[in-house]
Amino acid sequence: MRVPRSALAVLSLVLLFLLGPFLILFWSSFGTQASLAFPPKGFTLYWFRKVLGMRMFVDAFRVSVLLAFASTGAALLLGVPAAYALVRFAFPGKGFLELLFTSPIVVPGLVLGFALLSFFTAVARYPVPLRLFLGHMVLLFPYTVRVISASLRNFDPAVEEAAVSLGAPRWVAFLRIVLPNLRAGVMAAFILAFITSFNNVPISLFLSGPGVTTLPIQMLTYMEYYYDPTIAALSTLLILFTVAIIQLVEKTLGLSTTLGG
Amino acid sequence: MLATRKAFILSAPALVVLVAFFVVPLALTLVESLRDGGGWTLERYASVLSQRSFRVALVRSLKLGALVTGIAALVGYPAAYAISKLERGKRTLLMSLIILPLMTNPVARTYAWFVVMGRHGIINRGLLALGLAERPIKILYTEGAIAVGLLQLFLPLMLLSLVSALENVPAELEEAARSLGANGFRAFRRVVLPLSADGLVIGGTLVFTGSITAYVTPAILGGTRVLMLSTLLYQKAMTLMDWEGATVVAVVMLLLAVGLNALLRRLRPREAM
Repeated sequence: MRVPRSALAVLSLVLLFLLGPFLILFWSSFGTQASLAFPPKGFTLYWFRKVLGMRMFVDAFRVSVLLAFASTGAALLLGVPAAYALVRFAFPGKGFLELLFTSPIVVPGLVLGFALLSFFTAVARYPVPLRLFLGHMVLLFPYTVRVISASLRNFDPAVEEAAVSLGAPRWVAFLRIVLPNLRAGVMAAFILAFITSFNNVPISLFLSGPGVTTLPIQMLTYMEYYYDPTIAALSTLLILFTVAIIQLVEKTLGLSTTLGG
Repeated sequence: MLATRKAFILSAPALVVLVAFFVVPLALTLVESLRDGGGWTLERYASVLSQRSFRVALVRSLKLGALVTGIAALVGYPAAYAISKLERGKRTLLMSLIILPLMTNPVARTYAWFVVMGRHGIINRGLLALGLAERPIKILYTEGAIAVGLLQLFLPLMLLSLVSALENVPAELEEAARSLGANGFRAFRRVVLPLSADGLVIGGTLVFTGSITAYVTPAILGGTRVLMLSTLLYQKAMTLMDWEGATVVAVVMLLLAVGLNALLRRLRPREAM
């Protein structure tokens, strides 16, 4: 069946609206003026060189990457066994656990960040890096449970039972049979969680501290004082980074596996 | 019994972490909002509700949330319909373009609108060049700017929900309606729309909840004057040092988000997250 032309026209406008600002941003990050203006004049790579040489952004990038790796790894370590328990066993309280394990997605990030800051101020006076790590881990956990559960449901339990009935202990069967078959699911969960942590603002906003700031928070702080195209250049780099990740996901796993999990 | 014990052992670490760093902090915030001195009271709520700034932010959040959800549905339906009719390869390409705003660093994404809406941005340049304005008009730091930013952020969620719902509507049904004499619009309204309503409900809830709780978009495009609930919460907690007030705003946001999610579960228990 033919697609009506009016629907195609709306689709084109939607794409223009969603992506147009990015293209304009790319263009203006190469301009020579010191303030952000359109159309940009001249051509320079100055802003890219500048931002790559700025300690505050390089340090914050390092914090963001470390934090994303650590909290994603921890969320997976908690999420894989939890998902296995939810998918493979029937037990009293399962509905409650399912609800609890997905609820950090439902709570607004800013509210969780605020509640965690109150908690860390009044009850558990942990150092800033540990606060960030715990906050991000709680945020990412539901994503890992959801994606891993979906991929466990697609894996026939009979294969695992066969290994067990042939004499393999349950944990050996899990490591040798189940986990290798979950590889795509774990990869998808890892990427989704990593991006979620790397881009997070609401939780890091409340939990960052002097000397330990994530990249998005550092960008927000810088924007309060300066209007030059430094942020445009950095944003361009980050958007290209995202495009590369989406391409990678699409090539290796397929988008629907990752998003629909 | 054995299964119960195994399940418990496997999920215990996650349970402990979530109780300690999710349930307890939220419960403490809730308790904090209801206590004053030694006793229980609603005084803090009364005091925050009596503030004009809170009422303005609440109404603005709900209004912009409804506006963005409405536009996302109106624009999203034809766009998602077109996507669902495309061949597979093109559809995948389009989906990966559409999710770009969702996956991008939120500060970078929102900053892009500066170049469009700023004093020397593309819109103002255009207006001046065409003689439609004598000096740059104020676009940034308005409700309209926030709405535009939120729409870019959340329209992809609506599209994802609608496309997956529309893909499940058998094309034969629509063709049958047409061959029985319905025109394109009528076939859409009577056949496609009812069969994909789930996607609309899910997408709409996600867009509305996301819009009334988002932080970065109103913080950058609304500035410190045009506050929504989220930016008001941050301002109370970190700038005004009104911790009690911030606690109440946080609980209000929490109740709104949890309430909407519960409503969605009620309506569509299976498809909800």
